[in-house]
This record gives sequence, structure tokens and C-alpha cells, in this order.
Amino acid sequence: MLWTDKYRPQTLDEVVGNNKEKKIIIDWVDNWKKGNPQTPLLLVGPPGIGKTTLALVIAKEFSEHIELNASDKRSQDVIKSTIGESSSSRSLFGDEYKLIIMDEVDGIHGTNDRGGVKAIGDIIKNSKHPMILIANDFYSKRLQSIKPKCTVIKMPKVRSPSIRKALKEIAQKEEVKANPKALDLIAKKSNGDMRSAINTLQSLSDKETVLEPKDVEDLRTKDDRSDIFNAITGVLKSKNPQHVREALRVDEDPTLVMEYIAENIPREYSNKNEIKKAYENIAKADLYFGRAQNSRNYGYWKYASDFMGIGVSSSKKETYKKFTKIQTPTIFTLMGRNRGKRNLRDDLAQKMSEKMHISHSIAISMFPYLEIMFENDELAWEISDFLELEENEIKRFRKKKIPKKVIKKMEEKKAQMRVEERDKRFEELQNQMMNAPEEIPEAEEEIIEDSLPLEVPEPEEEIVEEPPKEEVPEPEEKIPEKEENKKDSEEEPKKKTDKQVSLFSF
Amino acid sequence: MTGPWVEKYRPQTLEDIVGQKQIISRLEKYVGEGSMPNLMFTGPAGVGKTTTALALVKSILGEYWRQNFLELNASDARGIETVRNNIKNFCRLKPVGAPFRIIFLDEVDNMTKDAQHALRREMEMYTKTASFILSCNYSSKIIDPIQSRCAIFRFAPIKGEEIAERLRFICENEGFEADDKGLETIVYFAEGDMRKAVNVLQAAASEGEAITEESVYEVVSKAKPQDIGNMINKALMGDFLGARNILRETMVLQGTSGEDMVSQIYSEVSKRVSEGKMEPDFYIDLIEAIADCDFRIREGANPRIQLEALLTKFI
Repeated sequence: MLWTDKYRPQTLDEVVGNNKEKKIIIDWVDNWKKGNPQTPLLLVGPPGIGKTTLALVIAKEFSEHIELNASDKRSQDVIKSTIGESSSSRSLFGDEYKLIIMDEVDGIHGTNDRGGVKAIGDIIKNSKHPMILIANDFYSKRLQSIKPKCTVIKMPKVRSPSIRKALKEIAQKEEVKANPKALDLIAKKSNGDMRSAINTLQSLSDKETVLEPKDVEDLRTKDDRSDIFNAITGVLKSKNPQHVREALRVDEDPTLVMEYIAENIPREYSNKNEIKKAYENIAKADLYFGRAQNSRNYGYWKYASDFMGIGVSSSKKETYKKFTKIQTPTIFTLMGRNRGKRNLRDDLAQKMSEKMHISHSIAISMFPYLEIMFENDELAWEISDFLELEENEIKRFRKKKIPKKVIKKMEEKKAQMRVEERDKRFEELQNQMMNAPEEIPEAEEEIIEDSLPLEVPEPEEEIVEEPPKEEVPEPEEKIPEKEENKKDSEEEPKKKTDKQVSLFSF
Repeated sequence: MTGPWVEKYRPQTLEDIVGQKQIISRLEKYVGEGSMPNLMFTGPAGVGKTTTALALVKSILGEYWRQNFLELNASDARGIETVRNNIKNFCRLKPVGAPFRIIFLDEVDNMTKDAQHALRREMEMYTKTASFILSCNYSSKIIDPIQSRCAIFRFAPIKGEEIAERLRFICENEGFEADDKGLETIVYFAEGDMRKAVNVLQAAASEGEAITEESVYEVVSKAKPQDIGNMINKALMGDFLGARNILRETMVLQGTSGEDMVSQIYSEVSKRVSEGKMEPDFYIDLIEAIADCDFRIREGANPRIQLEALLTKFI
């Protein structure tokens, strides 16, 4: 079970700090109970300071409550259809009020939630029920139109002595041995976020060993990864769907969260069937992330999110009593450590793809065969020459350098082949000129047109250098090309305007 | 000998192309007419899509094909914008020395749907000056509007005899001895993929001796990712973390693709069941999981995640 749930304050008294605000809230609740409708409460403050906890404590004063996540890609219609009705019509029997709790009103997902703010505004206007809105950023643009319609309660960060006190209590109840300095450090690193502090404590705790400051030091300061640690702890340690969903509401790339969950499944779960089932859910989540990406229909994300959240969490029969440290996916460290190797691989694939008309993935699939071919000195030289490989790239395919003797021999052979090729082409050329003299003007015309764009010249230069088969007359080509180069530089400004025109027209 | 044989022995003209006879004869009609619609070549790897495109381009555009031809990879690392800019820059010029210009776009099935819609607009905009040849493994991944704008040609895996014949031709030309059994073995492993067949042949030939069944087997087993068996053993013994590590290392360090991993895992377990080292019941359960994994990877899921999930079935 998640400690953040286990030790969540149940009454207003247990909520730490915020005495002035508590008074406002008590009045607000009393007024509703007396039948005096009040403007909605807007709780604003950084994550993990107890806004949701406070809302849930308030909810106990009402017979029923609905929780909604406003940033859940809900556009106007969805919000209206799910709470529009319940907010404007009261139940037929009795005047029981339903408390509506709307989380993340300043929605982290920005523009995707078109019309969402307006819908919330409408609901506030029409609602006959008490509402609590929760948001992180007081200055968010999305709150500007909402703030005037609400009673705003600004909640500050939790001070680190309060956090330390809470951590100490929890550690005692859980029988975790911890160096007080370690707890102090967690409290400081949490940067005022009680939830992350408690989750950090849970993810670092280990029944056998004493928690020392050095265990905490390795952790990065809250505000980058600790959100993910919360989410993972939530999924793996809880079996309550609502808690899991809440834990997964993090401002992180969901596929990254999935990697973290996947990484830690076999570390937390020890029953084989649980691992299988959990990983099956991860695979399904991944499938829907892929489908969302391919179809650009991000509505699929909600299924993916349930698979990796509720699916994984319910794959275990019971929550584990043991303590497991949450780990960063080894795939990232593996990729980071081998960045050089991967760059080399990609450079090679790029060279192959240009010279051999193949894609990167096919190029990479040829590597094992190239490794075998490179065992042969002469072939190694030939292929390296063909692909124009650098020394370090050759080393990818064979450890030993190609012997100097072989290189010399092969270079001589190549030079000789070139001479032969040139002679042959010269002969062909002579024949061609005798047979088809009218081709020359055409060639010229083509070059003029072609020098306007920015591409083509390279293949023509290659034609001069290398000896491909049935290629175009050489001497004739060279001369106009040089002339063109001059023209090219004169025409530079003109070219630019051409480009601009094209930008406008498309 | 100059460089890789796959490139050296790439057929240069339509009539030299191995297999795909019906497709070739239809394409030759376009050459006769001097014009062609937008084309889409679909089919597995190594069956001649790119070769056919290059040969077609040369014969339909004539002598100045190079200047009127643009080859692009749709899964270009620099992104779809680069691809589109290249197409734009290329298309706004008139064809010179050729009736029109041709753009060959490989791996279109790796483009997102958004990018494909953008491509569709590009295709409409330049119908007068340029024709497109699109190439992909699975036409099902291509949006309908593009498919309806193309004449679709489905390339089948190349027949065993045809591959064998081509290999024999290469051997003769290079002065290598090859016995029938050796070539047969290559054909068996190539599964209709000419590129793979020629790569295995050259790798086997590079050892310097005649091409025999043994030398081919040696190459094929050397070229296989080494750790697959080891990974499976670990998983079978219940060491999922260990197996997962091997999987990750193989994929990251060697860059083995998901599809390759799946087929290696398949052949490994398939070997075990026929050698009596695995219970048929368990094997069939695994096959279902492997097939599912294969399908999902082709559908666009993350191969590594799917393979990790597959590994759990072994424990």
C-alpha cells in the first residue's frame, strides 16, 4: 500500500499548517450546509502539498462527491456531459449536495483541451452544487477567467521541518530504521512537496538496512524525476484503481512512465505469473501508444494509461510487504553509455544507405555479413573503398588494421583499372561524337536549368572523378560546367528571390 | 571484384531483373509509351523494389536520368520536413533532357499518417512535372488517398530456383566454385530475399574456399546474433532480469532490429522442439506469443517492449 494513502490525513485537524485557510473552508462548508450557495473554492499551490487531501477531507462533510481531472483531454462536450447535468440539477429527493472536485484546472496539456476553460466557466456559472477546483499555477492563463468567480485559497509549500516530522512518524510506524540526517535530507530535497518526500522514503526503505544520507544523495532533487518515482510507486505498491490513476497524473511523457514501470515490475513482483500478466499489460499499453502515434488519435492514450496503470497494479494478488528501490530503466544508461558506438553505427548505415540504395535498418542488418567479409584483407579494402569508410569505421568491422601491403597492392590495382576504364570510355566517346553530334546543345541547355536549383551538381562531379559505366561525354561536359560555376556566383541574389517566391507560394 | 556484390550485381535494366515477370512487362509498356502514372511498389525486403525502380527510371528517362531523378528515404533521420523540402526544390524545376522527373521514395510505410497526408498534397501539386515511385513493405500502412493515386505493384518473394540461378551466375563471373547443396542452403536461408542470398554468398566466398553446405552454415551461424540461445536459457531458468539484459544489450549494441530478434527467437525455439528439447504444448503457447509479438511489431509497437513481454512467456 502506498504510504501517501495510508497516512493521508482524514480530518481537517490532521492537515498540517494553513490555519487561516482552514477557517475559510470551515465557514464555506457551514454555509453550504445551511443552504447558502457559495462560490467555488479554488485551491492553488505546487504539487504534493495536500490540495487533493484537503479536498477529500472536505468531501467527507458532503454525502457524495465526484472527482474529475480537468486536464484529462476533456473538451467542452465531455465536461458538460459528465458533470454539466449533475451540476445544474439537484437530486429529486432531498437537497443533498454533491461536491464536485475538479483537479488540474490549469491543465498541463495546454492547447489540446480546446474550450475546456470556457466549459469550466459555464459550469461554475450554472452549478447549484458545491465545487472545489484545484490548480498548480496561480498565474496560469487558464485560471485568469476562473479566478474572479472563485474563493481563491493559495496554499504554500510545506516547510521542511513539517515534512521531516511527518517522515519521522511514518518511519517509526513502518519500523524503518533511518538515520535522522537521511530524513532531513529527503525533506530538503523534496522542495516542499510532502507527497514526493513520503514516496521517496517508501521507495528507498529497506527493512534490513538503515537508511543513510548517502542513499538519498544519489537521488536527484525533486522537480525532475521524482514525479515519475511517485507514479511508479503508486502503480507497483497499490491495488486501488483510483490511487493508481491519481499517481499516474504526472507531467511526463507517458511512454517514459511506461519504461519506468516496466523496468521495476520484475524488481517488485516476484511471482512469475504476476510478472507475465503485468508485462502483458505493458505490451498492450505500448501497442496503444503506437496506435495513437500512427493514427494521431491520442484518444487511445487513455487505454494505454489504464493498461500500464490499473492493469499492472492489478496483476498482483496482494501488495508486497517488502521494500523495493525504484530504479531508472537500464535501457537509458545502456544507451547513454554507448552513444559513441551507436553514432558510429548510424554513420555507417548512412554511408551504406547512400551508396547502396538501402534504408538504415537494412544497412544495419547487413553488418554481420560485412564482419565476415572484412576478415578477408582484400575484400575489406574494397568494401571500405567503395563505401569511403574512415579508419574508425573500418574498425567496427574488423579489429586488425588492413595490412599496408594489401592496401598498396589494391590501390595500384584500382589505379590500373581506372586507366583501362578511361581508355575504354574515350573510345566510346569518339564513336558517340561521330554518330550523334547534335546532342551537345541539349546537354548545355540541361546544365543551365540545373544550375538554378541547389542540388544536382555533385553527381556530375562524380562523373568526372569516378568511372561509372555508360556515362555522358566527358570533355564537353567539363567546360560548360566551369562556365556555369561563374554564372552561378553572379546569379546568387536572383536565386535567393526565387526561393522566397517559392516559400510564399506553398 | 569491386565492393559489395549486392551493388555490383544489381541488375541495371528491366530485362535483367530476376523474377517479377508480370510487373516488368507492365513497366516496359510505360517505357514504350514514354509516360507513367505514380507507382507504388510493395513487398518484402530484397525482392527487387529499388532495383526495379532504378532500372525503370534509367530506361524511361533516358540518358539524363541522373539529373531528373531524386531518391529519398522517407524514414530519413533528418525528418519529414527535409524530405518535403527536397521534393519541393526538385519539383519546381522543369525536366530537362527527359520527358518528366521522377522521385523515388523508399519506406513510405514508416511515415506517420500526418506526413503521408502532406506527401499526398505534394503528389497532387506536381503532377505535371514529376511522377512518384513509392516503395514500402506493407501497403496496408499507407493511407487510402495515396494508394488511390498510384498504380500498385505487389512484389512477391523471389523463387528459389531464380535465386539459385542468379547465385550461380555470380559465382561463374567471380570464379568461385559452388556446389548445388551449398547454393540450396543459401536459398533456404534467404527465404526469397535476394539481397540476403547475395550477402550470404559473398560472405561465404570471402573465406576463400568453395561454397558448400558447411561453409554456408558457418556464415549463417556466425551472422546470427550470438546471444539469443543464451537469453532463452536464462529466461527458461526463471532469470527474467538476466534475459532482459541480454535482450537490451543485443538490441542497443548490435542494433539488431525487432523483426530480426523475433525471427531468431522463432528459429531457436523451433529448433529446440524438433530436437525434442522442448515440450510441444509449451512450444505452441510460445508460438502464439511470438506470432503476436511479430504482428504487433509490424503494426508499429515498440519492438523492445514487445520482446521483453515475450520473454516473460519463457519464465
